[in-house]
Amino acid sequence: MSLEKKDEMDHKGWMKRKDLTPVEATFLTALIWMDKRLRIVDYLELLEDLYYKVNLQMPKSHTEQYDLDNKFWYWYPLYALGSFSTLAYVVAAVSGALLGFYYAPAQTGDPSTAYNSITFIMTDLQFGFMLRSIHRWSAQVMVAAVFLHMLRVYFTGAYKEPRELNWLLGIVLISLTMVFGYTGYLLPWDQLAFWAGQIGVEMSLSIPLAGEWIAQLLFGGFTLSQATLQRMYILHVFFLPFVVTALIAIHIGIVWVQGIAEPH
Amino acid sequence: MTAPSDDDGTHGSAERPHNENGTETVSGTDADGRRDVVVPMRLYKTVTVFSTLIAIVGVVVGFVLLDAATIRLSLLRRLVIGVLGVVGIDPPSTLLSAVLAVAGLAAIAFGGGVYVLGTRFRARGMGNPQEDADESSDNG
Repeated sequence: MSLEKKDEMDHKGWMKRKDLTPVEATFLTALIWMDKRLRIVDYLELLEDLYYKVNLQMPKSHTEQYDLDNKFWYWYPLYALGSFSTLAYVVAAVSGALLGFYYAPAQTGDPSTAYNSITFIMTDLQFGFMLRSIHRWSAQVMVAAVFLHMLRVYFTGAYKEPRELNWLLGIVLISLTMVFGYTGYLLPWDQLAFWAGQIGVEMSLSIPLAGEWIAQLLFGGFTLSQATLQRMYILHVFFLPFVVTALIAIHIGIVWVQGIAEPH
Repeated sequence: MTAPSDDDGTHGSAERPHNENGTETVSGTDADGRRDVVVPMRLYKTVTVFSTLIAIVGVVVGFVLLDAATIRLSLLRRLVIGVLGVVGIDPPSTLLSAVLAVAGLAAIAFGGGVYVLGTRFRARGMGNPQEDADESSDNG
């Protein structure tokens, strides 16, 4: 597809015929000059074209197929908790990625390198305090929203057939959300994090049969060490993001295909 | 498909009023007394895209300048001080802050102004349906 315009618009001639104030004429001339050189609108039109062509190839969502978009209960606020959770997740992901530029998961030194990197973010980095606050708050909000979303699904009966699979997926997701929270909680490696880690190790060890193996796997030993922090870090920034993002995509995809459950 | 571009005023202009120097009066005021100018669709897109873009850049740059005026460890502020230092100028910190703050506010005002100016243009069929009707409404 070429960028040649289908019908070349004679901007100059058009402007001569209109009675524009000098400011308007200058404004339009400047914008037309930029448009001629940057061609942004042409590219946007190409994208729009592409969007519609792709859309024609997509299977229809349940909502489109049965024209359910104007059902009044769709607009109950509690039905927005799922998308609200997703939004909180995206905010946490973006702010977390930015924090990752400055955080170092090392235990060396006293206070530890990890703690020092957080101190640096909070005190020396421009907007660092805000960045970390956004990350923590969006994490808290996500946990709350996911929990309330679960309550909504339960009390409106949205878990019932044929949606059992998505309910189970949701249980996995809320669990992984809490693991996300816990692994992140340990990263500052301050007193709070350390003793939370200690409790985690002891909880793992209290599991019959598999306890020692789980403590080894998650915490890298029976006492807290560099291995613990490193594993928490990798879980938090490498393992969980991929798994949770994929599962959220599937979770939303299933909703898209099945449609939102009518309240019972 | 993209929408067919609006006519460039060649047809349909016959029943539109002209003023004494033969140019069309395409502009008027809308209900709120704001001036609005009807432009072809393609030009409307240009205006919307670029005025929004310029507005965003203006406001963001403005805030960066305000930061440079108020935050000591601002990158831009250190850059400005460094560049001036190379030239051999060492401005007092208050003067630097004042200049940067004024520049920042000016950039934000410029962005806002461009955006507001952009809102007076519209394509046909986007305004008051009465004004876009085929017959001019001259109250009977």
